[in-house]
Amino acid sequence: MDKKYERGIHLIGRIGLIIGIAFMLGIPAVISAVYDVWPSSITQVMTIGGGLLLMFIPTALAEVISYTPVLGSSAYITFLTGNVMNLKLPCVINSHTLTGTTQGTDEGDTIAAISVAASSITTTLIIIVGVLLMVPLRPILTSPMVATATSYLLPSLFGGMVLSFMNESCGEYIAKGKNLVMILPLVLVFVINLVYPLSGKEGFAVLACMALNVLIAWVLYKKNIIKMVPKDAAPGKSE
Amino acid sequence: MGFKEIASSPLLYGLVIVGILMVAAYAAVFLKKAYGRCLALGFDRKTVNGVIKSSLTFSVVPSISIVIGFLTLSAALGVPWPWWRLSVLGAVGYELMAADMATKGMGYESLAAMAQANDPKVFGAVMFVMTIGIIGGLLFVLVPFGKKLTTGMMKARKSTSTWGVVFSSCFMLTMVAVFLPLMVTGDPVQVAVLATSAVVTVLLGLLIKVTKWAWLNDFVLAITLIVSMVSAVGWNALLH
Repeated sequence: MDKKYERGIHLIGRIGLIIGIAFMLGIPAVISAVYDVWPSSITQVMTIGGGLLLMFIPTALAEVISYTPVLGSSAYITFLTGNVMNLKLPCVINSHTLTGTTQGTDEGDTIAAISVAASSITTTLIIIVGVLLMVPLRPILTSPMVATATSYLLPSLFGGMVLSFMNESCGEYIAKGKNLVMILPLVLVFVINLVYPLSGKEGFAVLACMALNVLIAWVLYKKNIIKMVPKDAAPGKSE
Repeated sequence: MGFKEIASSPLLYGLVIVGILMVAAYAAVFLKKAYGRCLALGFDRKTVNGVIKSSLTFSVVPSISIVIGFLTLSAALGVPWPWWRLSVLGAVGYELMAADMATKGMGYESLAAMAQANDPKVFGAVMFVMTIGIIGGLLFVLVPFGKKLTTGMMKARKSTSTWGVVFSSCFMLTMVAVFLPLMVTGDPVQVAVLATSAVVTVLLGLLIKVTKWAWLNDFVLAITLIVSMVSAVGWNALLH
C-alpha cells in the first residue's frame, strides 16, 4: 500500500476514534456534571452493569480483533458507527464481490473503506429522518408484520453472503479446494452449539475458529490440497 | 429535574447533534480520501460510484431496523440518548439488551417502570453503563493495534508465496463456519429465511447472466434482503 495513504488513513482513523470516544464518555460526563446525576460510585456502576459489562467487554474486544482483518482500514469507521454484522460487514463483502477484489490488498481495502463510509452516512441520515418523523412512523414501524420481518434481518443477509464467502476466487487467484478448510470448524461449532449454546458468544467462537481455520488451511496448502491458480486482473479496473 | 426532563433536555440534544455531525463529517472525510485513492489505484469512476450506489441502497433496510430500535428505546429513554447510542458504536441488539440489563441491575422491572420512577440519578448511571459496556474494543484494541492488524494482513497477502492469499481468505470462511451452524440450529423460520436468501441471490445471479443486466449487480444485496425479510412474514405464518 502507498505509504502516504496508509499513514493518512490510519491517522485519520485513530484521530476520529479518539474524538468519538471523547464524545461517548464526554456526553454522560457533561450531563452528569450539569444536572448533578453522577453515579454515586464506581461500585454503583459495577453493581448496576455487572452482568452487562462481564458479558459485553470481552465480546467487544473479541469482535474488534476478529473482524478488523476482514474490514481492513475501514474498521475505524465501522466500529465507530457500529452495527457491524447486520450492516457494515455485508457492505464490505458486497463491495468486494462487485469489484472482484479481496481484503488484504490495496484495492480491497480502499473499496471497503468507500462502502462503509457511504453506508455510515446513509444510516446517519435515515436515523435523522426517523427522529424527525417518529410520530407518524411509530405505528407503521412497530406493527407486528414489520417487527417479524426485521427480527430476521441477519438470516436474510447471511444466506446470500455465504455464497460470496465460499467463492473460490481470491483476487488474482482461484483457490481450488479452499472451502475444505471450514468443514471441521463448522462441524465443531454445530456440535458445541447443541451442547452449549453459543448465542451471544459469537465473537469468541470467531476468534477460536479463526486460529483453527488458519492451521487447517496451512496443512491443506502444504499438502497441495488447496491449489492456487492465477487468473486475469480484477474486473472494473482500467489497466 | 427528573429523569424524563434530563433525558429530553436541550443540553443533551445539543451535545448529541454536535456528536452526530462529527461522526458524519468523519465518514465524509474517509469517503473522500478513499475515493481519491481508488482512482489512483486505477478503478474507473463508474465502478467506484457503483459501489457507493450499492452500499447506499443496501443500507436503507438495515437502517430502518435501527430506527425501530430507536423508537423502542426512545419511549423510555427520551429521544437524544437512543439517537446517539444508535448512531455511534452501538448495534440495535446490544443497545436494547444493554438498556434492559442496566434497568434490571437497578432493580426496576422494565425500562418503562424506570422512566416512570423519574429518578434523575438513574439516568447518569444508565448512560455510563451503556457506554462502558461497548467501548473496550475501540479503546484497547483498535486505537493501539488497528494499524498492526490491518497492515499485518496486507503483508501476509503480499508475500511472494501464495500462502498469504490463502491465509487472508481464512477470515471469511471463519464467518461461515461460525454463523451458519448457529443459524441452521435456530428456529425453522430462521432456516427458511436463510434458504430463501441464498435462493434469491442465485436467481438474481442467473437473471443477470441471462439478461446481461450488469446494473442489477449493484442492487443484488438490497433486493435479497427485502425479499427475504418479506418472506419471513410468510414463513412465520406457515411454520409457527
